Amino acid sequence: MAAAQGIDPIHQFEVTSLFGGPVGTATFTNASLFMVIVVAAISFLMLVGTSGRALVPGRLQAAAEMAYEFVASTVRGTAGESGMRFFPFVFSLFMFVLFSNLIGLIPYTFTVTSQIIVTFAFAALVIGIVIVYGVYKHGAHFLHLFVPSGVHPVLLPFIVLIEIISFVSRPISLSVRLFANMLAGHITLKVFGGFVAMLLGAGAYSVIAPLPLAATVALTAFELLVAFLQAYVFAILTCVYLNDAIHPGH
Amino acid sequence: MSEAGKDDKDDAALRARLESLSQQLAQKKEGAQAPNPVGSDLTGGNVGQAMTLGFRVMSEFVAAIIVGAVLGWQFDTWLGTAPALLIVFLALGTAAGFWNVYRIATRPAGPRRAGDNTK
Repeated sequence: MAAAQGIDPIHQFEVTSLFGGPVGTATFTNASLFMVIVVAAISFLMLVGTSGRALVPGRLQAAAEMAYEFVASTVRGTAGESGMRFFPFVFSLFMFVLFSNLIGLIPYTFTVTSQIIVTFAFAALVIGIVIVYGVYKHGAHFLHLFVPSGVHPVLLPFIVLIEIISFVSRPISLSVRLFANMLAGHITLKVFGGFVAMLLGAGAYSVIAPLPLAATVALTAFELLVAFLQAYVFAILTCVYLNDAIHPGH
Repeated sequence: MSEAGKDDKDDAALRARLESLSQQLAQKKEGAQAPNPVGSDLTGGNVGQAMTLGFRVMSEFVAAIIVGAVLGWQFDTWLGTAPALLIVFLALGTAAGFWNVYRIATRPAGPRRAGDNTK
């Protein structure tokens, strides 16, 4: 069992109940625990980081301010100044995804964003807000999102259908991209780590065990990049979709 | 007396430094904003960024086809028109997939049309 656990690359994604018993609707699982840890880490960074209000920021304050500036410039650049009313939402989303990804890179932790249900819930929330805000703000005019101007009337029904399919595919691509990146990255890391363990136990072949070890080190650095970039892509696409709700019509 | 003079001097030096720093900041901001509307996603030679963009293109393309197929299949089940709508919606989904990819290629980081549409 112990040897199989070292090699089984899927085991790390298993959701288990922390206090025994089967996993039900309201069970406190390892996924819940790491969500709490992520939120606690973000709260620590933002609350402690901004509590000093030093004119010359220390490390923690600089990190908190950088996070704010980064997301704010992303929102402004993508959705415009009127998109800033969604800044709290985008910022929470970005920080949660980023911290889940980063904390998940630490060995023996659980990656919350490697669960499709989590990422899909986020994507559904984003699209839900886009639809609700778009209809609330623009009423029927929001439907102009699906009707590009300057299209021949014969072609229009097809274009509208294509636009609708394209719109429906957004939450799916948004959630699957983040989930698949995290899942694939962690499986790759685990498989290469398993190679090291297997080669070390394979007699004379153990001389090439450092090769997969080096690959693991390189992959970890790469995963760090992916963790950040995926959080960024998630945030920027959220802004792009929110921009459609703020300014519908092409 | 001499200390007050020193303070004034310090103040002036600090103010001059602040001014030059804010000037530099403004220049940097302009420089950072200039290449942005063109689409930094496509021009970034960085491997990570390129992979992210590639993965984005792939996922949006595949997602549109899957959505088309599921919609067609569901409408078929509801209307009893066995394979007809599945084929039609699969084709539409593929078109939507290409449309998604085209959109990513033409305006990678999203439109910057805040100025022309808000007011």
